[in-house]
Amino acid sequence: MHPFRSLVVLFAVTTAALPGQDLLPKAAPQGQVVVLQNAMLHTVTGGLVLGGTLVFADGVITAVLPADAPPKLPEGATPLVLDLQGKHVFPGMIAAASQLGLVELGMVRQSNDSDEVGEASPETLAVVAVNPDSTLLPVARANGVLAAIPFPVGGLLPGRASAIQLDGWTNADLTVRADVGPIVAWPAQAGGGERGRRGPRGAAAPEDAGANAHQKARQRIDDAFTAARAWLTAFTADPTTPIDPRHQALVPARRREVPVFALANELEQIESAVLWARDRDLRLVVVGGRDAAKCADLLRERSVPVVVTGVHRLPARDDLAYDEPFTLPKLLGDLGVQFCIAPGGEASNDRNLPYHAATAAAFGLDRDRAYAAISHDVATIFGIGDRLGSLAAGKDATLFVADGHPFELATKIELAFVRGRQVDLRSKHTELAKKYRERYRQLRGK
Amino acid sequence: MTFRAALLFVAVVASLPAQGPPHNGPQPVDAGWFALVNARVVTAPGAAPEAVTIVVRDGRIAAVGTDAPPAGATAIDCTGLVVWPGFVEPFYASDVPALDPNTTDQHWNTMVQAQRHALDGALVATADREALRALGFTTVAVAPSGGVLKGTAAVVLLDEPTPERKPRVVRHTAYAAASLQTSRDGYPDSEMGAIALLRQTLLDGRWYERCQRALAADATLRAKAPQPSAALQAVADQQSLPLWFDVQDELQALRTLRIAAEAERAAVVVGSGMEFRRIDALAAAKARVVLPLHFPDAPDVATENAAERVSLRQLQSWEQAPTASKRLLDAGIPIAWTTARLRDRKDFAKNVREAIACGVSPTQALAALTTVPAEWLGIADHCGTIATGKLANFVVTHGELFTPKCEVREVWVGGVRQVVQAAKDRGLDGSWSWLTGFPGTTPATAPAIAITGDKVTVQVGDAKLEVSGVVRDATSLACRLAGKELGDGPFWLRVWRNDAALAGTLTATDGSSRPFRASAATVADGPKDQAKASDEPKNPAPDLGPLPTPLGGYGDVALPAVQSFAIVGCTLWTSDGRGVLRDGALVARDGKIVFAGPRGEMPSLREGTLEINGRGKHVTPGLIDCHSHTGISRGVNEGGQAVTAEVRIEDVLDPDDVNWYRQLAGGVTLVNQLHGSANAIGGQSRTTKNRFGVAVPDAMHLDGAPAGMKWALGENPRRANGSGPNPRYPNTRMGVEALLRDRLAAAIAYRREQAGYEALAPAARARVLPPRRDLELEALAEIVAGTRRVHCHSYRQDEIFMLCGLAKEHGFKIGTFQHVLEGYKVADAIAQNAVGASAFSDWWAFKLEVQDAIPENGAILHEAGVVVSFNSDSNEHARRLNTEAGKAVKYGGVAPHEALCFVTRNPAIQLGIFDRTGSLTAGKDADVVLWSADPLEYEARCEATWVDGRPLFTLARDAEKRANVRRERQRLVQKALAAGKGRTAKEGDKKDAYWAAEDMTQDYCCRDCEGGR
Repeated sequence: MHPFRSLVVLFAVTTAALPGQDLLPKAAPQGQVVVLQNAMLHTVTGGLVLGGTLVFADGVITAVLPADAPPKLPEGATPLVLDLQGKHVFPGMIAAASQLGLVELGMVRQSNDSDEVGEASPETLAVVAVNPDSTLLPVARANGVLAAIPFPVGGLLPGRASAIQLDGWTNADLTVRADVGPIVAWPAQAGGGERGRRGPRGAAAPEDAGANAHQKARQRIDDAFTAARAWLTAFTADPTTPIDPRHQALVPARRREVPVFALANELEQIESAVLWARDRDLRLVVVGGRDAAKCADLLRERSVPVVVTGVHRLPARDDLAYDEPFTLPKLLGDLGVQFCIAPGGEASNDRNLPYHAATAAAFGLDRDRAYAAISHDVATIFGIGDRLGSLAAGKDATLFVADGHPFELATKIELAFVRGRQVDLRSKHTELAKKYRERYRQLRGK
Repeated sequence: MTFRAALLFVAVVASLPAQGPPHNGPQPVDAGWFALVNARVVTAPGAAPEAVTIVVRDGRIAAVGTDAPPAGATAIDCTGLVVWPGFVEPFYASDVPALDPNTTDQHWNTMVQAQRHALDGALVATADREALRALGFTTVAVAPSGGVLKGTAAVVLLDEPTPERKPRVVRHTAYAAASLQTSRDGYPDSEMGAIALLRQTLLDGRWYERCQRALAADATLRAKAPQPSAALQAVADQQSLPLWFDVQDELQALRTLRIAAEAERAAVVVGSGMEFRRIDALAAAKARVVLPLHFPDAPDVATENAAERVSLRQLQSWEQAPTASKRLLDAGIPIAWTTARLRDRKDFAKNVREAIACGVSPTQALAALTTVPAEWLGIADHCGTIATGKLANFVVTHGELFTPKCEVREVWVGGVRQVVQAAKDRGLDGSWSWLTGFPGTTPATAPAIAITGDKVTVQVGDAKLEVSGVVRDATSLACRLAGKELGDGPFWLRVWRNDAALAGTLTATDGSSRPFRASAATVADGPKDQAKASDEPKNPAPDLGPLPTPLGGYGDVALPAVQSFAIVGCTLWTSDGRGVLRDGALVARDGKIVFAGPRGEMPSLREGTLEINGRGKHVTPGLIDCHSHTGISRGVNEGGQAVTAEVRIEDVLDPDDVNWYRQLAGGVTLVNQLHGSANAIGGQSRTTKNRFGVAVPDAMHLDGAPAGMKWALGENPRRANGSGPNPRYPNTRMGVEALLRDRLAAAIAYRREQAGYEALAPAARARVLPPRRDLELEALAEIVAGTRRVHCHSYRQDEIFMLCGLAKEHGFKIGTFQHVLEGYKVADAIAQNAVGASAFSDWWAFKLEVQDAIPENGAILHEAGVVVSFNSDSNEHARRLNTEAGKAVKYGGVAPHEALCFVTRNPAIQLGIFDRTGSLTAGKDADVVLWSADPLEYEARCEATWVDGRPLFTLARDAEKRANVRRERQRLVQKALAAGKGRTAKEGDKKDAYWAAEDMTQDYCCRDCEGGR
């Protein structure tokens, strides 16, 4: 076994002095076994391990060991051993219900790839359009956000969400799970919902709002699932039945292999979506969930998790307490509703995901629980719990090393690994900062 | 005033007019000579009813007294009736054809329609005339609708016009009608734009008149005379007239009164009915309010979801609306009532009774309908009371006015009797037994007839006959009856009173008829009274106690008092040269910080000082948001033109926005309220303290703060992101530069012209034409003079560099570059040419021009010696400016104390108010925030915020407010459910005008609108 090596040595492995990260090569596959020693391991599922050791090989964590246990290494391996000197190791954060990779510049239509034409396009799959060279990915990564669940948006059935990791040469490299489930924008009653906001924050009332427009629109969603079921029955009996990609796209949800993600915020919206899913024998996840605490019993009884899209938002109504958005996660936790926290808003701000959780923690949510809400709980709710979200043997080595807790602004992320590959933490931002600091160095004549 | 104008303003009602086309046949003669006898007469509000005779001749009152009526007068017997002065409707909006915008004479802006006159329009619609008379109105002031200056109003009688005779005019020109209406297709598209247009036009009218005078005195000046303008002539001519503002809410009322005061014009506000929400401010502004007796419908709370969407403020507004008159009168604000804004004028009488039930005295009520509007309209010599010489305008009632049983029988309009409702023979009402005429009936099986007003039921055994077509007049009743009990086909029934019985005829459709007789049944007629009573307000009058300011969940009945307080043992983030002091103490008194320093040096506390244990806590100066669009009514942008330096954010402060309170809960005590970035030269900004809850909105403005103005570079003024259909200059960054350069040159020329005139001796001034005061150039000139700071929206380095050069060339310093996301590329230029840079901490990639934005921007600028602030540009981000500042530590390694200064000291320097706030330094305003932890970290919660020493946010007060919101909502939702019977709005329902107006004033969300960034 090699003796102690510093972090700096490891950094030297990467190519130096290159422009923005989008121009940088992606990380090479993990060759050497890596042993992180003397670390404070925030395993999320297995508590805090002080002075612990974490081993990963071929992109997968092979051991999480307490302080005194000797690391078990694969036969014949020459591991890279790093003494972290008490630094923190966290599983990578996951930006749920995001637009990462699909949108580059919010207002530039040409760079916007998340909204397909038509009311129902469940056949569209997010990962297909993710740009591996998006400048947004390295920026999110640099703050410990190492995976994301991009969501198509628009219409009643915008498409299917994917789970991606934020480093890879190709879309295949990025893919953690291509199809994590279809999205439905569950319509609000006339006058409700959230209009004019970007990203999958919750469905608005239909534009052609009459008193019953929301019911008609809900019926159209239901019709899509009914048609898919009829098609599946026919196709199973007669394989020559023509294929409709829309129907095909809903089959895994139909078979309960994946959940349906319902964008819903208002109480009536949430309740009706849950009842609809119950009656159609679908697994449901509520995305948005502003009023979820008001129907906690129903959500608990039906085992429906809630994706809270953004803690940093305004109260939805004038009369609500100023901290209503900040306290929602704590409230859901107390009521026994399974939940996770998504960044909400524009993809370029997804790097601020830890701060949404940090605010929830400041307003009562247990700090470890808050971190789980942006890692393990996201993975569980989106069906990638076998790969991401915690530090445990068998999970992907998608993790980072930091000198403090990522909820703290003073914390620096020092190393990050995506499936065992050490990724560059530089980005367009760091390189532009460096470039222009050089300008002032020149001006000062140094 | 010109002679022409003077002629127009006199009251012109004479007697019956002789003008008009020749009559088709012999000229009819109306003697017009009456005596109303045997009446009780109330001659004026507050007067006791007197048994006097009123003699009317030629439309006017010839005598009021006990003398015997003159022999020539036709006596009108008014036994059992009461005669009151005819009511005056002070505001009736009427369509008057818009002026042709293509004619040379018109104002350049179609919202200025000053030369229109009500008499050019359709006056009062037929149905409205009848409805108004039915309520007792005899006189109406008609105002043209549409526009900012809409034209002049005329007072006319509610005559029934005939081809030969038009409605008689009481006063040709009573007032100038104005509003803050915005344009649908250009300038002004915001309320502040409408205000600027109004101010400028009123100034132009004065200037035009001065020019005319100078020209009259010296014809040689003609070469430079202003272009003749009917519009400006009209404005000039109307200067002696009061301005009547048709407003949408109480804040507009205050704004229009400020405009009138500036123009030295008398003003009347035609209100929304919600004026009670800003009663102290309106009283201070000496408002005169024409109050619509329109009470909004109960908010829709039929379902849980619907109730959720209704705010406490809406519920309170609904509940309190009937108290408006009482509250205004108690505050010394004179009111007149109008039927304008009512969906159905029939509700007016009921609403008057509701206002009276809330405490308005009948005398006050009558005055609000007669003498007050008559005085405001300048027609008190003609209308308002019953006195010799005045117009013979009366309301004749059966029963006392303002009581449920009062019936308006007739009105007299300028001596013309108009019957509203003939006396009904109450003798028909009751329960009767049908004795003869019914086929096959015996006294034992006689059908029962019940008559209540127009309601008739006929009961035969267990069956009811079908009754339709009921017509009642003074003495008889007719209806149709059908039913198998009656035999074939329908029958016509006519009945009248015959001593103690009813008599009449029953006629079959074949024309055969038989007599009908019915005798009184012995059933008590109790239900009749109940039916009548159901029309009346059931709920007890709402509580008349003081209301919170602002109305809604988070206002206070009384603003928290200035506290003497000390926070002892805390960590003090001084934001001055002393950095962070552990174990510090802060003492504040009379709204000022008297000590901030090490605990050991704290002076002994005076008695009554609230001592707060600060151990483990952190204390910072109040946070300052250098880029805010919080609390701006009806338009953050005036986007109608590329240059709008004349519009002022201070004109449209919205003190009711709940975001003020939310930001207090995030420690924000002061903001730079900015115009949006839709145009290269936007409006004037305002430095505003977060004094949420003050009675007078303008008290939120920080007096004496340096003036500012918003400019904008790049995509937004280019309208590159698709806002606005028409091609408008500028469309490139080149054009933006050229436009700024052009306007600066114009500003310099303007200054020179104004200074040249000022320098003239008074005698010399009389020999030149006065220069025109131009609000746009005046504000721009202040920039060139260095007395107004430019806060310039900017992103890319090229545009920042351009403006640095332009400012330098013109000898002024930029106040701040706002956003300035590529500032890090040209920090040296910014350091030299601007007071500072005010950026987002880490926003990027939301549009093309911010693709190079980096979070190290603040740090690099700071390193280069630029005074840097971080701002919100968002109601949401504004709640956590402290952690935005923390990002300067994270990205770029700014020292924590310096980072906090990004939201305290530095924005104060940028706004030129660091001598007053922005640091914890003795002598400064007690704008102080108490935090639970290191304020640069997310774990910190704001526990208390003092503004000028007032604890406007504390956790304890917040808990009380939440409890109160729950309690009040519950009470009012229950009340609304009872009142609205669970009403749900149906598709196509016309929204109550009041609620529709509220919808329009919803929060402006600048974050998601590119125009706002």
